[in-house]
Amino acid sequence: MSENSNTYKIHFLPNDKIVEVNEGSTVLDAAHNANIYINSICGGDGICGKCKVILSSGTVDAPTTKLLSDEEVDKDYIIACEAGIISDLQILIPHETRLEGKKILLDQNEQHSMTWKATLDQANFKHDALVKKICLKLEPPTMDDNVADHERLYQAIMMKQGVELNVMQTGYRILKKLPEVLRQEDWTVTVTLGHRGKILEIIDVQPGDTSNTNYGVAIDVGTTTVVACLLEMETSKVVDSEAVYNTQMKFGEDYIQRIIYAIQNEALDKMQRSIVTDINNLISTLVKRNSIILDDITAIVSAGNTTMHHFLLGLDPERIRKEPYIPTANFIPPIRAIQIGININSRGLLYTLPSVSAYVGADITSGATAIRLDKEEMPTLLIDIGTNGEVVLGNKEWMVCCSASAGPAFEGSGIKHGMRAAKGAIEIIHITKEFEVSYSAIGDIPPRGICGSGLLDCIAEMLRSGIIDRSGNFQKGIKTDRLRKKDDEFEFVLINKEDTGIDNEIVITQADIANLIRSKGAIYAAVSLLIESMGLGINDVHCVYLAGGFGNYLNVRNAITIGMLPDMPSSRIKFVGNTSLTGAKMALLSEEAFETVQSIASQMTYFDLMGNQKYMEEFMSANFLPHTNLDEFPSVLEELSSLNKKFSGTN
Amino acid sequence: MEIANIVDKCPGTVKEVIIGATKDEGGTRGKSITVGGSNCIPFMDFDGSPGHKPAIAMDVYDIPPEEWPEPLMKHYADVVDNPANWAKKCVEFGADLICLKLDGIHPDKKNISASETVSTVKSILEAVDIPLIIWGCENDERDNEILPKVSEATKGERCLIGSVTQDNYKTITAVCLADGHNLITQAPVDINIGKQINILVADLGFPTDRIVMFQTTGALGYGIEYCYSIHERARIAALSGDRQMSFPIICDVGHEAWRSKESKARDDEVPQWGSFADRGKMWEAITATTLMQSGVDIIRMNHPEAVSIVKKHIENLT
Repeated sequence: MSENSNTYKIHFLPNDKIVEVNEGSTVLDAAHNANIYINSICGGDGICGKCKVILSSGTVDAPTTKLLSDEEVDKDYIIACEAGIISDLQILIPHETRLEGKKILLDQNEQHSMTWKATLDQANFKHDALVKKICLKLEPPTMDDNVADHERLYQAIMMKQGVELNVMQTGYRILKKLPEVLRQEDWTVTVTLGHRGKILEIIDVQPGDTSNTNYGVAIDVGTTTVVACLLEMETSKVVDSEAVYNTQMKFGEDYIQRIIYAIQNEALDKMQRSIVTDINNLISTLVKRNSIILDDITAIVSAGNTTMHHFLLGLDPERIRKEPYIPTANFIPPIRAIQIGININSRGLLYTLPSVSAYVGADITSGATAIRLDKEEMPTLLIDIGTNGEVVLGNKEWMVCCSASAGPAFEGSGIKHGMRAAKGAIEIIHITKEFEVSYSAIGDIPPRGICGSGLLDCIAEMLRSGIIDRSGNFQKGIKTDRLRKKDDEFEFVLINKEDTGIDNEIVITQADIANLIRSKGAIYAAVSLLIESMGLGINDVHCVYLAGGFGNYLNVRNAITIGMLPDMPSSRIKFVGNTSLTGAKMALLSEEAFETVQSIASQMTYFDLMGNQKYMEEFMSANFLPHTNLDEFPSVLEELSSLNKKFSGTN
Repeated sequence: MEIANIVDKCPGTVKEVIIGATKDEGGTRGKSITVGGSNCIPFMDFDGSPGHKPAIAMDVYDIPPEEWPEPLMKHYADVVDNPANWAKKCVEFGADLICLKLDGIHPDKKNISASETVSTVKSILEAVDIPLIIWGCENDERDNEILPKVSEATKGERCLIGSVTQDNYKTITAVCLADGHNLITQAPVDINIGKQINILVADLGFPTDRIVMFQTTGALGYGIEYCYSIHERARIAALSGDRQMSFPIICDVGHEAWRSKESKARDDEVPQWGSFADRGKMWEAITATTLMQSGVDIIRMNHPEAVSIVKKHIENLT
């Protein structure tokens, strides 16, 4: 863009934001500049067609595209990433393209004002916060007791905590202010102690007793959502929590795309700022809402996948996506949060939990800690379904893990009316034999899309009611108007236009089904291969923990019926929600838990599926409902064959 | 000292499929042909029963083939426009079954009507008394239109009809079920899809002792190894007790062998390749005998001399 090129004003509605951009920028660029979120899975490559907006006034330079239906073209829809700006514009962002509100559904187990003592006890972790504030009453010095201020403080800490002097450390800034602070409240002081590896650091010294105002924040930095939880360290009380969508999404919906974006555009700084801003916004919301001061937050524990941690710390992520897939660091030492721009106490520490490999991150080590995989006697499975599906198998003696590129289908991405588990997302679907659909949407408002648990129900119910066969193909002969051909593709209408919260029907297409089957196939293949590689069978697996952001609720039986989970009694499968955050909270409140994450991370063996020929074969066999090897799903076989007798017809 | 034979017994057995029905059985065939039944690795009869011998099905087309080279065409030149006479000739050449391939119903070819096709089928049934395979044109729409009519017209004859694929199986499976025919399930050299289509037709209530599998065929030099290893995997799965794989296998050797450059190139084009008159039939015979080792149960063939070579080979092996 030359310096003297024209600039134009772009007015975004309903946000009512105006930005000025250079001629030739795209509407998507303008939205980025205005900090407005527009759905974009492909990150602006003109492939996904999710960034539809309505041109209310002005002209754009846009190629004709197959991504818009004739109906949409008539309504002045344009594809934001393809529309070059050549005049002032007014752009209306329609419902389906918007990131409505910022409220994301939090874990159901998340009950505020509850202490975590019971949870910690249940996990057998001692409550012993990573960063503590302790109040000390020092003996004033005399001619007989002429120990220096600093050493006097050390001695008092030693007496109280029982630590050795040589593993303590004090910063220069603390030393400078020490004499005054000690004497200000007549030798009563509160020291903030934090662990940095084997060293106990005096993070801060304050006059008087402030030991009851010590807060920590646990965060889960997901590719899609960032969740923060404020905890009172002393009492282990969950004060409040808050979530936002990761604003890095505008650089690409999956993290590989973001790595590419960061490298190609030399935008690592920008990516880091983006995630740090999200975290700062979350913290400042929590702080304001609960009338506490930032200075009282002394520690942050972060769980997240390897790439997100790289972005958070501004580490070079490039080699994560290239063979042989090497991260810059798996174990990251604690740093001061302010070093990367996170606003808490200026000397407060950021603990990033450790990863296992490029594709098995701290979200998994944290999750394994949350379920205490390291205490299990019998082989136990943890399956965490996010943008990637990660699987851990193990017990107190061994752990193996793998990552399957399941794709974000169960997060609602790449599905025509898929969405994340937010307000308006359909989370339960039931379909009758007469093809009537009943559903329940989060927040009890007119539905805007379908989230993971709803999509899972949808496939299982369509299979049961004979709408699709085991290949996932629509049964064209069924007697219902809901099944129809549109734009050369078959689709099933789940919700009629008048009942939805978008100006459209909610449908599931043949391509959606294929996508979901591939996704569940990738997860099942990883699970079965991991079990097999340890010389075990599914009956040897004592318990399965299913984690992930499906929604509040997950029908475990349906997950078996579609062949995502192995055929086993539902009682042995537990849906545990966001275990990444749970583990981060535990680590924040218990040093023992923090150490456990470390030891789990170093103990886990990474099993690479990407170069595994057998994985491909397992994956191909799993691309069927429930599976090509029906013998692996006896209970599903029985269920479906009893139903099948009722349907037989021609196409 | 006598050393006892160690018998490698397999837990699974390939199902027997009976093609063709005699008068007593409600049809008009002179005799029926049974295929399958093996419970050992092909021709390893010391381990178990090798089942029924591979059967040779000779192709008859509903329209004259366009690209047959002269060494093949010369045997049929007088009958290619009369399927009934063509079928008679195949019987003389030693065919166990006739495979009527309905290329002519394809919209890009002659788009032949259902009624004309039915009368062609009937003329063959009258002309010969060996069992019949009826194979569509692989255009889903036309197959779904014509094959039901053909199926109805041949009700009771226990034909082998095909093929059905994962994307198109309901109509043809339903009519074969109703009219008592056997069914060919097709997959694109893919063990999983092969299994899946078998499950899909079984889900419609189709009896599993009436299914024959087709994995498509590659001739010698044109992917025979893929085809061989898929047959082998399918058979080993069947013998290991995989019920969704325990069906006889059909392969299409004649058509594939005679499409090859080696069968088509004339003497003046490639003098160093040996005699044009022999090359094609040898290509066909070698493709057939190779695939026999992989466990196929029905071999579709064209050239009379290739047929007699293969039949002799079968006799020698059994």
